Parts: sequence; structure tokens; C-alpha cells
Amino acid sequence: MPFIRSFIERETLRRRDFLLAGAYGLGGLAASSVLPTKAIAAEEMAVAWSYRDRSNPYWNSIAAGAENFTTDTLGRKKEALTHLINEGSNAKSLADIKSFVAKTSGKCAIGCDPNDSPNCRPVVEAVKGGNGYITTIWNKTDDLHPWDIGDNWVAHIGWSGLEPAENTATLLCKAMGGKGGVVGLGGIAANIPAIERKQGMVNALKKFPDVKLLDYQAADWDTTKANAIMSSYITTYGDQITGVFCANDTMAFGAIEALRAEGLAGKVPVTAYDCASQTLEYLKKGELLATVDQNPYWGGGVSLALAYYAATGKFKPSDEPKAHREFYGPTILITKDDADAFKKKYVDSMPKYDWSDFWGPSNGQIQYNRY
Amino acid sequence: MPRSLSNNLLRQFVPVLVLIALCIAFALINPNFLSVKNFARIGILAAPTLLVAIGVTFVIIMGSIDLSMEGVVAFCAMVFAKVFVAYGGFHGWGWTALILAVIVGATVGLVGGIAQVWLKIPSFMSSLSMGYIGLGATFVLSEGYRISVEDPIFRSLLTQRVFQMPYMVYFAMIALLFALFIERFSVLGRNIFAVGGGEEQARASGLNIARIRALAFAIAGLFYGLGALLSVARVGIADETNGSNMMFTSITAVVVGGTSLGGGHGGVLNTLVGTLIVAVIGNGMVVIGLPSYIQSGVLGAIVIVAVALSTNRKTIRFIK
Repeated sequence: MPFIRSFIERETLRRRDFLLAGAYGLGGLAASSVLPTKAIAAEEMAVAWSYRDRSNPYWNSIAAGAENFTTDTLGRKKEALTHLINEGSNAKSLADIKSFVAKTSGKCAIGCDPNDSPNCRPVVEAVKGGNGYITTIWNKTDDLHPWDIGDNWVAHIGWSGLEPAENTATLLCKAMGGKGGVVGLGGIAANIPAIERKQGMVNALKKFPDVKLLDYQAADWDTTKANAIMSSYITTYGDQITGVFCANDTMAFGAIEALRAEGLAGKVPVTAYDCASQTLEYLKKGELLATVDQNPYWGGGVSLALAYYAATGKFKPSDEPKAHREFYGPTILITKDDADAFKKKYVDSMPKYDWSDFWGPSNGQIQYNRY
Repeated sequence: MPRSLSNNLLRQFVPVLVLIALCIAFALINPNFLSVKNFARIGILAAPTLLVAIGVTFVIIMGSIDLSMEGVVAFCAMVFAKVFVAYGGFHGWGWTALILAVIVGATVGLVGGIAQVWLKIPSFMSSLSMGYIGLGATFVLSEGYRISVEDPIFRSLLTQRVFQMPYMVYFAMIALLFALFIERFSVLGRNIFAVGGGEEQARASGLNIARIRALAFAIAGLFYGLGALLSVARVGIADETNGSNMMFTSITAVVVGGTSLGGGHGGVLNTLVGTLIVAVIGNGMVVIGLPSYIQSGVLGAIVIVAVALSTNRKTIRFIK
């Protein structure tokens, strides 16, 4: 008797729980179908840009160019561009891109800096596996080419650091009077731009036998680290330092501040690279000698445009010559005299770019084994 | 004197001995290391880190840990820079930004402390999360741009010197004295040591543990704000990287100085020695010309040796 009663009670409770759970489930389904869903419309190709961080103005310009393509050419809202920020981690870069490709089911066009050269292959293979389209900039290994992977890897844009860095280093040596000691602050050692710019400096120094390279250390593109290393250089070499070569602007700012602490800002020539937003002020004050602009605004926009137009079928990458799939972007050397004109043309107003003119400003096909 | 007592006495001075030994070693390889100018440079490098490390010392003495410094320093630096520049620097009302940065730091610290106490989550997680929130808030404030602070009166912290030491070193010394006062002569300082030495006994003695915890985190935040000011003074720029690498250097400085991570032992003077050791190593490695790719390895090795020498293995029963 008691067994039967407890059995019936138990079964009643179980059935009641089952009915309640079923009601909740159906209610939940109904509620979620009422909420607006962010489904990607079948016609809309998703766009994204994957880059390191937002503390470097270079990446801000890249993002700005890509946003301009999204708003002016594609006619969408600025927020339609997805920013995949990897903060210097290869693993995060790859994971973000994989999940973006999966979320959009391959209907995506991506602009990307793979963060360092070994990471390029996994990234482009992941995008190819998901049937998305990607254009990379800066980092890839020498033996990997877009035509080996196929149409999904539309193009790779590099900016040769070799010749422009040689030019800035030459300017530096001339400002030093052709003799003295140079200290160098380099970027992250595995980054291609860091390697090329250092080599450009080394090539320039060969032309000035009386200029000695005292030291060259990696400050990882970071202002604070460059500041600390420059301080220590001043202790080690003191008055022997008559020139400073920095592989980018943000490190040059740190170096200039270290010089300022010694009262030497403006007295020791410093060269940099990248043309960040505050660089022009330093140039005009005479604390920075020269920098090189690589037009990241154009780079960000054109790489996204390449991926987008390939994805939507406007052109077929494999029909294009190799020089259109691996090419150099434009560079401009800027000194104190050029600063005002540059500011008027590229900073106070942005020139209007025809984003479908991919290869017009190109500087030629990428070359290897130059050093 | 009984052996254990003299050993203890010796152990308290080990960090200072390590510092002196390092200075001698570096000076032997490159005599330029011992110049007053180089000490000034070490001072400039160490000053912001010292303030952040002092902040963290209070939390570590209490037995918790605070990993929020990178985010809080960046956030305070950004708030300071924006308000300072917007109100015209020292010509206008911009100087109030100095006080604002400190208040913001203390508030963020207090919020983190309250979160830790109220939600009963480990301080490791609550502080790490507050740090990331701070970093995110910095991005939102800065919109990705960096603010440069060029007011010459503010930059005089770096550029003007008394007895060849820049103002920021004296600023850090005054803050250190303030911290020493809190540690030695205030009820809160005593209570922090009590909680760190034995939380159950402290609670049984009638201390309000929650209030002490929250206040300790607030003090830490206050010192992070001061550290942020010096960090901006040093590079003249406020952006997300103002706090970069501070987590490692400040906690290393605290531990190398002899403060136990378990709590209850140590003090801000220990932290001063620890910060100097870390700064001397960083500066010394470049001065002696050590190739940059082995510097991280050497730094780690020296830190392990310094911590091993200053830890009293007999009184600490288990190393976590």
C-alpha cells in the first residue's frame, strides 16, 4: 500500500516537472523568436580587420581607412566593420579569425596583419578552409605565397623597410656630420619590418665608415621600454652617442623623453618611422629628424577592398599576375621641411581614395633575399 | 647572540646586501654605472614602479594580492591627462587633475576591495578583473589615441633637478614617507598587519575584517594613482601602455624586498629595496652590454636567487 502511494506521488511529481519544463522550453523558444536576431543577411558580406592593438596610431589609421571603405564605398554604418584585436598574441589572432569565418559561414572579407611571420600560414589556411577571403599585410614567411594557397588568400601587401630606412639612416649620419656613434632601438625581433629597417640602417652605415654602431636593442615598438633602454644607453655610452635610430615613432617618443631628462632633446638627432599623429609636432620642434609615412589609411582600406571585391566575384585573384598578389605599398620620407605640406594633405583632410584602384599606388612586386 | 636570532637579523638585511652586491658587480664591469647621473636615471625608472609597489605592499601584507595595477594606472593616467589638458594645465584649473587622478585611483581600488569582500571572490580574480575593466575604460576614454602632456611645470618633475636628482625622485620619497606613516603609526596599518598575520585571530579580537580589506585596496589604488602621475611625467604621454609591465616589476619588487606573499611580514622599506634591486638589474644589464635576448633570462635568475635568499624557510611551513 505505502509503496503504491509513494509510487503514484513520485510519478505525479515527475509528470508535473516534465510538463512545467516543457512549458518553459516552449515559452523560451517563443520569446527568443520575438527578439530581433542579428542574422547576417544573405546578400551582405561581412567585413573585418584583424590587428594588434589600438595604442599605436598606425593601427588607428588602418582601422580608419577600413572604416572609410565600409561607410563610403559599401554604404554601411561604421560599426559594420568588425575589429579583431589580437594584442600581440598569435593564438588569439587565429582564434578570432576562425570564429569570425565560422560565424559568417565563410561570407566574409578580412584584412589582417598576422602578427608575426609564422602565424601567416595557419591564418590563411583557416580562412581558406572556411571559404572566406583574406588580404594580409606585413608578416608572412618568405616561402609562402598567395598563389600557392589559392583565391581565398587574395593578396599580401608589404612595405619595404629596406630602402626608406636606409634613407632615414643616411639623413641621420649626415646630420651627425658623418662621424660619431649611433644607438638603435628596434622593433619586436621576429617582425619583418623590424628586421628590414635594421638592415636598412646597417646598409646606410656601410656608406659612412666613421660612424660607429654602439648598440642596437629591441624595444618591442613600446614607448616605455624604449625610454628605459635609451636611459641605460646614455649611462653606458654617454657622450659617444651622437645619433639615435628608432625603428618606429612610438619608440622614438620614448627615446626623446629620455634625452629630455638629460637636457639633450633636440640636440641629438633622432630618426623614426611610421609618421604617427604626434610625429609632425616633434618634427617641427626639431626633436625628430625624419620619419617615413606608409599611408596606413590607404593600406587598411585597400586590403579590405581587395578581399571584398574578390569575395563578391568582381575579379578573380588567380587571373592576376604575381605582382598584383604580392606587392609593396607606397612610402613617403618626411623631414622638418615637408611636415607642413604633409599635414595639410594627409592629416587635416584625408584624400579621397578610389578603393577599387588596388594597384595604382603600388611600389612593385615583393622581392626576397635582398640581404 | 643565539644563532637563530643572528640569522634572522642577517636575513632582514639580505635584500640590502643583494642590492649592494649587484651595484658592485655592475660597477666592476662598467664604471659608468656608479655615476650620480646613472643613479638619477635609475631613480627615474624606479619612481613610478616604487609607488605602485608600495600600493601592492599593503595588500600583500594583508595576505591578499592585487593584480589590477596595469589597468588602474592606465585609467588614472588617462583621466589625469584628459582633465589636465582640458582645463589648461597649470595656467588654468588643470592642476586639480593631479588630485583627481589620486581620488580616481583610490575609488577604483575601493570598488575592487568591496567587490572582493562582498562577493567573497579570491582577491586574485577580483583584482585581475578590475585591472581589465580599468584597461577597457582607458580605451573608451582615449578612443585609441594617446594624449600628450607638455605643460613645462608638470614635466619639471622630470626635467628639473635638485642635487642632480629630478623632482620625481623627491616626489616618490615623500610618498614613501607617507606610506611609512600609514604602516607604522596608523591604526589601519596595525590592523592590516594583524589581518595578514592571522585573519581568524584578528576577527576574534573584534576587528572589522571587511572594512580593513576594502580600505587596504583603496590605499593601494591611491598609490597607483600617484604612480600614474609619475608615469605620465616620465614619458609625457598618457595611453594604455602607461601601466605596461608594472604587474611583474611591482610584485617582484615586493617579494624580492623580503615581504612574504603569505602576509603578515614585511613593509614599505622592504619594497623600496626591492624596487631598487629590480631597477638596478634592468639598468645594469644594458649598461654592461648584455645582449638583449638573454636579459629576460638573467632577470629571472637574479630574482629567484634574491627571493630564495630573503625567504625565511624555517618559519613558513608551506610554500604555496
